[in-house]
Amino acid sequence: MKISFRVWVLIVALLLASLAVSPWKALEKGVLITSVEANSTAFEQGLKSGQIIIAIDGNPINNIDDFSKLIQGKFPSTEKIKTTIITKDNEFVLFSSNAPEITVSSIPKSKIKTGLDLSGGSKALIKAKDKQLTSAELSDLISITSNRLNTYGISDVKVVPVKDLSGNNYMSIEIAGATPKDLEDLISKQGKFEAKIGNETLFIGGERDITSVCRNDATCAGIKSCDETQDGAYCSFTFVIYLSEQAAQRHAEITADLLSNVTSGGKKYLSKPLDLYLDDILVDSLLISEDLKGRKTTEIQIQGSGTGADKQEAYKDATNSMHKLQIILITGSLPYKLEIVKLDTISPSLGKEFLRNIIILGLLVFAIISIVLFMKYRKIKITLSVIMTMFSEAFITLGIAAFINWNLDAPSIAGIIAGMGTGVNDQIVIIDESVSNTNLGIKERIKRAFFIILGAFFTIIAAMLPLFWAGAGMLKGFALTTIIGVSVGILITRPAFADIIKKIQG
Amino acid sequence: MENEKTETRIEKKEKFNFEKFHDKYYKLIFLIPIVLLLISFVYVIQVYSSTGDFIYRDVSLSGGTTITLKGDIDQAKLELGLKDKFPGTSFTKLTDLTTRRLIALIIESSATSEQLKPEIEKILGYTLNEDNSSIEFTGSSLSENFYKQLIIALIISFILMSIVIFLLFRTFIPSLAVIFAVFADIIMPLALIDYFGMRVSAAGIAAFLMLVGYSVDTDILLTTRVLKTSEGSLNHRIYRSFKTGILMTATALTAVLPAFFLITALPDSFRQIFLILGLGLLADILNTWVTNVGIIKWYCEKKGIK
Repeated sequence: MKISFRVWVLIVALLLASLAVSPWKALEKGVLITSVEANSTAFEQGLKSGQIIIAIDGNPINNIDDFSKLIQGKFPSTEKIKTTIITKDNEFVLFSSNAPEITVSSIPKSKIKTGLDLSGGSKALIKAKDKQLTSAELSDLISITSNRLNTYGISDVKVVPVKDLSGNNYMSIEIAGATPKDLEDLISKQGKFEAKIGNETLFIGGERDITSVCRNDATCAGIKSCDETQDGAYCSFTFVIYLSEQAAQRHAEITADLLSNVTSGGKKYLSKPLDLYLDDILVDSLLISEDLKGRKTTEIQIQGSGTGADKQEAYKDATNSMHKLQIILITGSLPYKLEIVKLDTISPSLGKEFLRNIIILGLLVFAIISIVLFMKYRKIKITLSVIMTMFSEAFITLGIAAFINWNLDAPSIAGIIAGMGTGVNDQIVIIDESVSNTNLGIKERIKRAFFIILGAFFTIIAAMLPLFWAGAGMLKGFALTTIIGVSVGILITRPAFADIIKKIQG
Repeated sequence: MENEKTETRIEKKEKFNFEKFHDKYYKLIFLIPIVLLLISFVYVIQVYSSTGDFIYRDVSLSGGTTITLKGDIDQAKLELGLKDKFPGTSFTKLTDLTTRRLIALIIESSATSEQLKPEIEKILGYTLNEDNSSIEFTGSSLSENFYKQLIIALIISFILMSIVIFLLFRTFIPSLAVIFAVFADIIMPLALIDYFGMRVSAAGIAAFLMLVGYSVDTDILLTTRVLKTSEGSLNHRIYRSFKTGILMTATALTAVLPAFFLITALPDSFRQIFLILGLGLLADILNTWVTNVGIIKWYCEKKGIK
């Protein structure tokens, strides 16, 4: 049988979808690192989240059980012992008396991602109380919040701006899996920022100790210099922060008693650094230049550096470090209060149960439609081709969702299943047009079928489009999968199906 | 042989009779959906005038908390304990129909989660965490805003659909017939949902949007076959569209209905989408094959299209 161009398109689309979904990942062995504690031995050795551990000390690790059994048998130990961790493309050797400071999970069975309502986790929508945030303010808020969540060691978190139809700006936070108890506190209250020298507090964010932080002004903030070094490049940045009178006074008093140290580079610094705390967690330490000792100054220069393999990389690293530091310094000084307007905490186990049922439902719908069609047409060839097309449509939609990293929530999957319904409808139109006893040729009749199908296609797109914006995009997934589903149908599966029917009907 | 022949003749006669009957009375039959639509419309308006809203909104659209407790929970105990402090709290059981197992109990209240959670913990005697429960809270200002936007989205969706239909057929009355049928497809399920007192979630309103696109294809099929082709008689073309269309609606319904009769332990958003699509499809059978057929047949007769 000659395979037509349209059928080839369908076959290629199916192959690409398989690549995107990667169902063979279910066969993969090992455990996935989901987070690595900052500054731990594991972190220093280069273990990163996203890596897949396949063996430890020569023992194969196939699943979580293997991993926990092995680690629990080994740690804690009284002395530093060697652990060899083999990941898919690297080998790491750790010496420690404690278990590696990492968290792991089983490898996802495919590249399809499910939404929080099915996988469990927390989702919050936050806005400023009695104030409309500008885009710049919102992006600051997002940086601050991401930073704080990071210091809490929460991985797999997505903080993004959301805009709704009436122009309201929100910050949306999504955290997958288990979440800390104090999440509500963490996101609704502003971050607490403190700068200390030793045990003495120099300034506190939000207390108006810091009157402003120079950020997007090249005269007081920016990369100062970049140099090549032996093993790469090195860039230094500097920016100015402005303190209130009181904070400046405190600075003078605290630094007056400090001694000076001389570093290897010959620069002179005070004996104690300026420690920056975010929510009581130390996030950075800055050396204080000797000439600031005992001075009452409202203008402080903050300096730092970034490194990289070449100048470009170092420049980028320095810029990132600078932004991070600036964001930490403005934390707690937001001129507005936050309000949680939506907070959902979904139990992972409940979500699992739902997902299982949805999959069974999908298969059931598939089976029932097949039976109904077979009863109607009584022809195995036609029924099979409809079923294959229906399956392809759902599968290619899943592939596209996986490819664009879309998290499939319950409404999204409802969209796919409902789409299976419309998909079949169009095929019925094609079949019925093709068997109609008329003088028109099969080509003409299929053409007419496509007029009907195209009409239905455009109306469903028109109907779903407004959902992209309404309600801060909460139901975007539903609209998205429906539109992808019908588009896949019209562009890929239906033309192929029409060709197959032409063949079957002769 | 004799017998068989008579039988076929009778069958033909009956079919012929129905055609004649339809020719004669279709304008009267047309009144059935119109009356139903009017009743639905009046009912929805009445709900609106007494509650200030077209639907009963759930907490995702009116503000409040939904707590889903996993497992077999004693509903009576909770109901008793929460009745006084949180009037208007509603309970929904989520049962797996095949195993008859109670999977979860959904509690909806207009209170905040901070108010509701400790009370439930007190009654149940254990703390709620992410292993045994899900908590969803929506602030009232947000939900109000969402609701307004979703209604606007529904209106926009309807207008966009109407434009597509006009562009497709470029004739006024037949296009209007399609749009009218879709309008009825929305109003009838809406009245039913109100009648059952069902609380509609954000996903439910999204389902109404989808209904706009989902129910229109049979109308397009009918209008195309009647106006754009000339094979057979007008009645023949209508009958052929009906045969195709009813199969389409039937398969669409088979995609939607198992969520009610076979697998029921599904997220609420999911079930609501399917319920509204299901009701809409049922209404669509009436509105396409009686309402829309009625208008287009009358139009063709006036215009002399055969």
